[in-house]
Amino acid sequence: MADSLRDASLREVQIEALVVMKIIKHASQAFPTTITGSIVGMDNGDKLEITNSFPFPSIELPADSHQDSSSLSAAAPRAKANTSYQTEMIKFLREVNVDANNVGWYTSTNMGNFVNANTIENQFFYQKEMNERTVALVHDVSRSSQGSLSIRAYRLSPMFMSAYREGKFTTDSLQKSGLRYQDILVELPTTIHNSHLLTSLLHQIPSNPPNEPLDFPPNLAALSHDPQVSSNPMCPNFDSLDLSIDPYLEKTCDLLLDSIENHHTELNNHQYYQRSLGREQAKITAWQQKRKAENAARAAAKQPLLPEDEWQRLFKLPQEPSRLEILLNSRQVEQYARQVDGFTAGVNSKMFAVKNSLLPGEGV
Amino acid sequence: MSRFFHGSDSSSESSEEEELYSGDEEAEKSEEESEEESDEEEDEDEEDESESDEAGAKGGASRFMKDVSDEESTDEEDKATVVKSAKDKRFEELEGTVRLIENAEKINDWAVISSEYDKLNRQVPKLIVDAKVPKLYVKTIADLETIMLETIEKQKVTPKKMNAINTRGLNAIRQKIRRNNKDYEKDITAYREDKESFMREEVIEEVAPAPKKPRRTVLDLGETVAGADEDGFTMVGAGGKALQYTPESILKHLRTIVESRGRKNTDRLEQIRVMERLLDVAATDYQKIRVLLTLVSTRFDLTSGTGSQMSQEQWKLAEQELSTLLVTLENNPDMIVVEGAEEWEDDEKQPQAKPGEKLKIPGSIVSFAERLDDELTRSLQHIDPHTAEYIERLTDEGALYTNIVRSLLYAERLKRDLQLDSSQDGVNRVVMRRLEHVYFKPSQVVTILEDNTWKAIPENLNSEITPRGQGADITNLVQTLCTYLFKHSEGILRARAMLCQVYFLALHDQYYRARDMMLMSHLQDTIGNFDVNTQILYNRTLVQVGLCAFRAGLVYEAQHSLQEICGSGRQKELLAQGMQIQRYSQVTPEQERLERQRQLPFHMHINLELLECVYLTCSMLLEIPLLAQTGSSPDIKKRVISKTYRRMLEYHERQIFTGPPENTRDHVMQASKALAAGEWRKAADFINAIKIWDLMAQAAKIKAMLAEQIQEEGLRTYLFTYAPFYDTLAVSTLASMFDLTERRVAAVVSKMISHEELAAALDQVNSAIIFRKGVELSRLQSLALTLSDKASGLIESNERTLEQRTQGTANAFERQGAQRGGRGGQRGGRQQGRGGAQGGARRGQGFTGGALGGAIKA
Repeated sequence: MADSLRDASLREVQIEALVVMKIIKHASQAFPTTITGSIVGMDNGDKLEITNSFPFPSIELPADSHQDSSSLSAAAPRAKANTSYQTEMIKFLREVNVDANNVGWYTSTNMGNFVNANTIENQFFYQKEMNERTVALVHDVSRSSQGSLSIRAYRLSPMFMSAYREGKFTTDSLQKSGLRYQDILVELPTTIHNSHLLTSLLHQIPSNPPNEPLDFPPNLAALSHDPQVSSNPMCPNFDSLDLSIDPYLEKTCDLLLDSIENHHTELNNHQYYQRSLGREQAKITAWQQKRKAENAARAAAKQPLLPEDEWQRLFKLPQEPSRLEILLNSRQVEQYARQVDGFTAGVNSKMFAVKNSLLPGEGV
Repeated sequence: MSRFFHGSDSSSESSEEEELYSGDEEAEKSEEESEEESDEEEDEDEEDESESDEAGAKGGASRFMKDVSDEESTDEEDKATVVKSAKDKRFEELEGTVRLIENAEKINDWAVISSEYDKLNRQVPKLIVDAKVPKLYVKTIADLETIMLETIEKQKVTPKKMNAINTRGLNAIRQKIRRNNKDYEKDITAYREDKESFMREEVIEEVAPAPKKPRRTVLDLGETVAGADEDGFTMVGAGGKALQYTPESILKHLRTIVESRGRKNTDRLEQIRVMERLLDVAATDYQKIRVLLTLVSTRFDLTSGTGSQMSQEQWKLAEQELSTLLVTLENNPDMIVVEGAEEWEDDEKQPQAKPGEKLKIPGSIVSFAERLDDELTRSLQHIDPHTAEYIERLTDEGALYTNIVRSLLYAERLKRDLQLDSSQDGVNRVVMRRLEHVYFKPSQVVTILEDNTWKAIPENLNSEITPRGQGADITNLVQTLCTYLFKHSEGILRARAMLCQVYFLALHDQYYRARDMMLMSHLQDTIGNFDVNTQILYNRTLVQVGLCAFRAGLVYEAQHSLQEICGSGRQKELLAQGMQIQRYSQVTPEQERLERQRQLPFHMHINLELLECVYLTCSMLLEIPLLAQTGSSPDIKKRVISKTYRRMLEYHERQIFTGPPENTRDHVMQASKALAAGEWRKAADFINAIKIWDLMAQAAKIKAMLAEQIQEEGLRTYLFTYAPFYDTLAVSTLASMFDLTERRVAAVVSKMISHEELAAALDQVNSAIIFRKGVELSRLQSLALTLSDKASGLIESNERTLEQRTQGTANAFERQGAQRGGRGGQRGGRQQGRGGAQGGARRGQGFTGGALGGAIKA
């Protein structure tokens, strides 16, 4: 109970710019391989402040290894070697006066295809083993390369945690707990925080300092409305006017189709299970009826009755396939759909903005 | 059985036996005789035995074992003379197996036990007599089970492991016993309860009925054997009666033969010989007919098993006798053989028909003709088709065909006779048989066959259905036969007649008539309900129609017809032209046997290699342009005409080094490659180099047709592949490239334009093709289309699930809403597709990503 109270209190995530830069650098260097790393910081009431990060060492694979390096590094956070590496690292960090609290891990992704068993397991590992108040930072490399930074913080919902702890994802258990795919991950709002020093630096970068001495501002209000000082130091950013729509949507479409394909596979598995279950149950009913008739006959002949629950030994019901894959897949589809939604919102406005200049005969 | 106890007090008996034999050998040397004698002798033995056994039965099981060895020793002594019955031999085998099992039990060798046990089980079914299992077997399996259980118990306790082979054997035995012993549960419990009495009981009860049976057979044999005697020897039967054949006694003899029919120990060859003699003696036609009827059916009985076929001489004799029978019947119009006539009970007196009526004799000419036909087919199935023997055997078909026609005449005669009220069925069956001998042959061959047949039939006979002289026009003949069946029959016969006619038409290059008949018959809907042979005929017809379409140059139609049969990769099986070894499915011997029976004789085969060649060539002509057309767009990728061809092509493309083509497939594949690259000349060369075309009539014409098709498809492929790179293209250039006339090129291009395969216009003034740009769907658009399709598919499956869950009682409103949504989605998708295709005109309003993307790029 106390846990869930404390859980509820974690409402937002604040990331230091340093961490963002480090993650971006790490991710784009290794692209398209998935990378992972650890983040440190501290929780401050309902806000989790992430102040530093370090990558997990990438594993050098022998050339003839069959394992995908990407999948290996995706599983890195819960690898045993890395756990000790992490504690060591945090020890060193403490010595240089950095926040020495492990508050989670980060990973890179491509077009948002991060909702899979690996991510779930990693985050579960963190939330279970380390500390309830940990987050997963997900950095989408390919989206960030299109002009807008995409970095998000996720946690597993308590409901999913308890279900995952039990490890049972059968239809029954899902019906009982009412767990839906929307309830797997909880996204936390993130803000990027710059230190004051950094902010002031940024404000000075865009323009050279004025040559002639400035007039003193007549009052305080004038200071905040100075035309020479823009509120957003990195403005204007022309990257966000990028008009290439097709590649992004194509890629998403591809991924969506893949997901649907997966869904069909899982569906088939489940149908197969249901069919075999039906067959087996029909057999059991037949057996039970036969046994009943036999017992009735025996009762009539005053013979001892045969046990009626022997079917549990004789027949074995097929194992129901885990529904987790389907849940994750649904969540993944939702993730894609959200991305397209967000993307088209921006693109539409851009389209209206450029409409006149593009259409022949009207623009001039 | 009791024979087992044969040598119980051996010494005296064996001497007795020897005496007997020596006497025999002096008297007669012939095989039948000795066989018969031995039978008799055995019989006597048995009588002796029954006494001695009853006396010495108390010995029980232990005694039993000793006896056997005793008997063996006696056997060894007079090995030369004792003819062991098959049953005795089997019993010895069984006994040996049992002993092996017991030895193995002693040394705990379960591997041996397992294998011997299998052997034992194989031997036993042969020894089961009227549902009675040999006691020895029961004893063995009961003991074995006990020992097995003990061993398993021991195994659990002792830490020492058996070696792997033994363990495996033990486990195998355990399972087998559990399965097997269920069947004999009763006997086993009986045995367990009281071993002694179980074994003894057997002895008594088994012996009792034994002496009766053989005696009867001896009597029978005695009579039949008498027939073998040639010139007036007075045959002495078992009863000591003298036997002589006189016209008066014919019917009596016949009756005994008929009565012994189907019994186990009758010697049919012997009976046949008797009847042949009877036939010689027969004075009246009535007797002749009666004898012939029995004789023919006995000949057929010679090979009652499904596995064996009639020997050629027997077949020929049967065929001759059938024709004699027919001649006799033709000469005696007042005697008829009909099914279901009453038997004439009195052997002494010649039956007399009432005035104005005809004498009815029970029998069926039609069945004989059918049986004769079946037997010929069966023997043809077994002869290697590449030998002279096959051809020799095939010549018998002429005689058979004559007989069938004659039976037809006879059946017609019966039918004409209003008094008789004979069923339509007989005529139909014979007509069908006749049709089945005709439909697959070219008309020249049939003409010869018909001519010969009518020559063999006396002048005064003529058929109503197919009058004499019609043999000249075979198409007409087939037509007449089929029409007759359409009118007078129903069900399977009718369908078969239809198929035969279609086959015949297709064989004689009348594609459109064949196709129309095939379609009008609507057989494709119901063919699944027919029997396997009709289904095979359907497949054959389908293939023949396909080949006919190919000869007519209709590639698309040919491919379409052949697709189902050839695309499956099981042509052999579907056309009943050979067995296919199936790798993954287990075929029971029963199924395999049935399948073997269904095989067509070789002369009816459709050349499979030619079939494959035609199929692949057609597939190539259709697939290569399609491949060029679909290119890389994902949604059309699924449109595959022939999976088999695609697979072969892929396999061919994967090869690193392709040598010069060797077989048909190689030729077609290399031609495909050349065609895809636009080298139509090379492709045509490859195709023309295939040798098998020579098997087709008018090979040169077909090659010319193929070359033309290749040119056209080459042109289409070229246009599909290179259209994106052209703005305009002169028709004359294309014409020279593909060696076609300009008119032809214009025709092909116009066709492509009108089918929306090519986004272009034909400029007739300058005779050029003007291509339009930017009308193809962008990748995003096609992906979006696919996605919307998939999404609507998901919605549909969801709805189905809901319906299933709620048993159709779900809220109607909700379902309707969902359906509407689904349909809306589909409609949207389609509209968008059309929008993309006609994008040129609508670019102004079309605010789709693809169109705009193009505009930006421009």
